[in-house]
This record gives sequence, structure tokens and C-alpha cells, in this order.
Amino acid sequence: MSRPEEADRSITAEALRRDFGELHAVDGVDLEIPGGQIFGFLGPNGAGKSTLVKILTTILNATSGRATVAGFDVARQGGRVREAIGVALQDVGLDPLMTARELLMLQAELFGTSRDEARKTAERLLVTVGLDDVDPKKRAGAYSGGMKRRLDLALALVHDPRVLFLDEPTTGLDPASRAAIWEEVRRLNDDLGMTIFLTTQYLEEADRLADQVAIINRGKIVAQGTPEELKRQVGDEVVELQFDSSADAERAHDALAPVAPNRQRSNRQLRLYFGRAAENVPELVRTLDGAGIRLQGLTIEQPSLDDVFLRVTGEALEHEIGEGAEDVEADAEVRS
Amino acid sequence: MNDTLLLIGRSLRNTMREPLTVLPNIAISVFFLFVYNSGLSSVAELPGFQGTYLGFILPVAIVSAAVGGAGLAGQTLIKDIDNGYFTKLLLTPTRRLSVIWGPMIASAIVLTAQVVLVMLIALALGLKVAAGPAGFALVVVLAFLWGMAFAGYAAFMALKTKNAAAAQAATFAFFPLIFLSYTFVPKEYVTAGWLKVAATINPTTYVFESMRSLLNTGWDGTALAVGFAVTFGFATLTGIMALWAARGATKLS
Repeated sequence: MSRPEEADRSITAEALRRDFGELHAVDGVDLEIPGGQIFGFLGPNGAGKSTLVKILTTILNATSGRATVAGFDVARQGGRVREAIGVALQDVGLDPLMTARELLMLQAELFGTSRDEARKTAERLLVTVGLDDVDPKKRAGAYSGGMKRRLDLALALVHDPRVLFLDEPTTGLDPASRAAIWEEVRRLNDDLGMTIFLTTQYLEEADRLADQVAIINRGKIVAQGTPEELKRQVGDEVVELQFDSSADAERAHDALAPVAPNRQRSNRQLRLYFGRAAENVPELVRTLDGAGIRLQGLTIEQPSLDDVFLRVTGEALEHEIGEGAEDVEADAEVRS
Repeated sequence: MNDTLLLIGRSLRNTMREPLTVLPNIAISVFFLFVYNSGLSSVAELPGFQGTYLGFILPVAIVSAAVGGAGLAGQTLIKDIDNGYFTKLLLTPTRRLSVIWGPMIASAIVLTAQVVLVMLIALALGLKVAAGPAGFALVVVLAFLWGMAFAGYAAFMALKTKNAAAAQAATFAFFPLIFLSYTFVPKEYVTAGWLKVAATINPTTYVFESMRSLLNTGWDGTALAVGFAVTFGFATLTGIMALWAARGATKLS
């Protein structure tokens, strides 16, 4: 299949806003996503990711602002937008009484494909998402969560869309199913040049797949760039210190202020950002020893998007940081 | 049109996969036919009664099938909304109306099949249709239109409430209409003034009368014209209500 080089595959938004009463679910979002990218949209639950996807996919009106997808205005050219996009929302949309083939064929026919062509498309996509060996009589309602998610992804692909929206495609999936979806997303982008707008709560997912990442918090985009650019903003290397208790971590946080001005505490961990970490380790150890704080572990690593997220939002993604996420404190001294 | 046909086909196939959604309704209609025909057939011996009691009570079984069967349209829409498939359909280039019309028309087709079945049972019980085969067909057409009218109402309630129980309850609220009419005896024998008032303003009365004329007395232009006018009027009203509700429901809020 050839790449639709001539076709517009971009996504733009200007001052896009959606209010629900007093709540600004999407609050003045600007986007400029060139065609052919995987764009990772990262944020915690309730940050506004799904609301933005619903506006861009024409099923929710914006309160104000403007957006285009594949060159069409989402408010005024909804039909043209829907012809150009594939969408797999966070909540899968399957008729439980229908089989996978029936769902795929109906979806293809609703996009104007002939019956014969729809049948071929259904068979091809079942192979693509690894559902071709499932009993053909098995109805979608009897599928597991991972199988439903893969079938939903296949439904989004029946018409070879130019732009694909995936709203938290791997949330709740086991690692094997998650890896299979990642592989397929990467293939769709590499082989077909499809623009992929991917929302996720998983930092690792955005880091591994996305060319560009935006972080949304409380309806606003708080950081945007390539994963590497964003990670460089917090420092080149990270020293992670582990302590026996959060009280020790807090004492260490205060004691290390002169040595490591750029630092963040999360429960029993302290993350310190340096240009070159190894040079600073002896001084860190001496300072902690002098303050009588027992160090349980020390590792040097590259900054992750988690560090970026923590820096720009002052909050951690709960499932990544683990227990006591509400106990996270972003250090006021972290450079902006 | 093609997308509407595809969605009608899908709804019909789903109905066949869940026969329990229609079997109770058929059972109630047949129950009406047997119980009232055997229990009240002596009404036909009253002076001035025209035709058979079977021909008189059959429209009650038909309208009951139509009202009960129409709820299917609402149930289908609510199931689609609940399981996310409604949104999936809205994300295709399919016209918004087709997403609503598909289950509505499918529901009217299913209830028409139920009506034909009930009428065939009546024929087996000895019914002679006074207006002949064309009269038989017109009764089916009236039932289809009446069913569409209720399907529109059911779709309206489903799209407004998005709640299966509320939509089902709203459909059942129309069952009293079947009985606030000249349901079991001709109007000449009804003495209660309040029932006469209720029957006069109840559109079901005119559907009964037009069907009864075809089944028991032959071609009666006035009864047919009034029956069809009331049915069309009601179907148009509920159709507009469903479309109005659909405009709101096809954008999330």
C-alpha cells in the first residue's frame, strides 16, 4: 500500500476549549502536529485527554476555539473528518451479539466498501490484530478485554485512515497484549505513514512510541517536545536515592539542598538531577553521612518522562510512582 | 439509504439471536386472542353486533403486539449507547438519522411479523376477513404504521433518558390506551360516560375501528380514512420527537 503523501494528515488546534459547567476540561489547547508523526498525549486521569480526543474526532463540540484534522475543520466538516480518521476510544465500542467478522464487515460497508471488499478487509485485519484463529462464531461479547481492544483497533483501521486516534489503547491490558498493540502502532506508522494521536497514562508507552509528546494537566498543555528534549529539561543524569522511611527522605531532601539544588522527593525516594552524576556522588554520600541519614540504595540513570511530568505538574502519575503518590512533593527549587 | 439498510439488517439479525426479546410479546398477544375470544364470544350474540367476536377482538391483540414490539427500538438504542457501539457508529460517515432509523424500522418489521403470526392464528381459529385478502394486507399495513409510531416514541424516550428501565416503563405507560377504548364491546353497549370520553380522545379507538371494519364489515371509507389519518399523524409526531432527541444524542454532552 502506498503512503498518501499528497493527502493532509496533520492535526491542528487553536485556543481549543471545552467547559462542563464550571470545569474547564480542555482549557486553551494549541497543537501543531505534522502528518506522519506518532504524537503522545500524556496526562493523569481527568486531565482532559479523552475530552480533547472527542472534540478532534467530531463527537463532542468545543465551547470555543478551532481545530482541524486531515485538513478539515472538525466543527464544520465533521463528515469529511470522519472519512479520514480511525478512532479507538478508551471504552471499546462493540456490539456484543455480533462476531468479529460481522462487526468488521459492517464497519467497512458503512465506510462505503463493497461487500466483497469488506469481506477481504475483515479477513486481512483479523490477521493483523491476531484474531484470525478465534472461533468465527464467537461473539464479541465473549471476548477477553485484550481481544476486545484488538478488535476495536481493527475496526478503526477498516478504511485505511490517514489519521488514527488511540485513546489509552493499552490501559488495563496485560504486558503481552500491550506489546502487541505497540508493535502494531509502530508498524502502521512506519509502513503506512499514518499519523497517530495516542493518549496514554503510561510514560513508558509515550517514551517508546512517540516522536513528539505533550503533557496535559487540568486541561492545559504544560510541556511539549520530543521525549529527549523534555527529558533534557530536567538534567542529563539522575541520581536516585532510596531511604528506609519517608521521614529520612525528607531530612535528606533538606540536607542535600546545597549539593543538589535540582531535586524531587517521592515517598521514600529522592531524585537528584545533575549534568554529570558520578562526579557528585562522593559529596552526596559525605553529606548524608554527616547528617546521620542512612542510605538504603543509590542508582544513576537517565531522566524519564516521569521526571518531566513531576517537574511540570508537581504531581506524579500514581501507577508509575507506586504507593504514596499523594505524598509526592515537587521541590520548589527545581529550576523552571 | 444503503447505510440504513445495513443497520436494519444488523438489528434484525440481533433480534433473531435473542428470541426472548420478542417471544413474551407474541405470547401476550396470542393470550389476548384466546382468552377474550373464548371468554367473551357471546358478545357477538348481542342485537346489532356485526361480524364475529374473533374479528372484533383481533385488533386488540394486534395493537398490543405493536405497542410491546415497538419497545425493541428503544432497547436496541439503549444497549448500543451502553456498550459504546452507538458512539462507534457516530464515528463512521453514516448519516446520523440512519443510526436511529435502523433500529426503529427493524423493530417495526419484527412487530409486523408478529402481527402476521397472530392473524394467521386467528385465521386458523376460523376468522373470515370481510374485506378479503386486500383487507388482511391493509390491517398489516396499519399495524406496521402504528408500530412505527410507537417505535418513534420508544426511540425518543431511549435517547432522552439513556436509561433502559425508564424507556421500558415509558413504553408500558401506553398499555392503558388499549383498554381506555371500546376494547371488549362495541361502543353502543358502553354506558360509562368517562369511558366514552376517554375512548373518543384515545387514538387507539380509531385504529381499532378501522381494523374492525376491514375484518368484520368490509370496506368502510370513513373508518379507514380516520384510522390512517390518526396513525399517520401519531407516527409523524413521534417521528419528529425521535429526530429532535437524536439531534441532541448524536453529540455527546
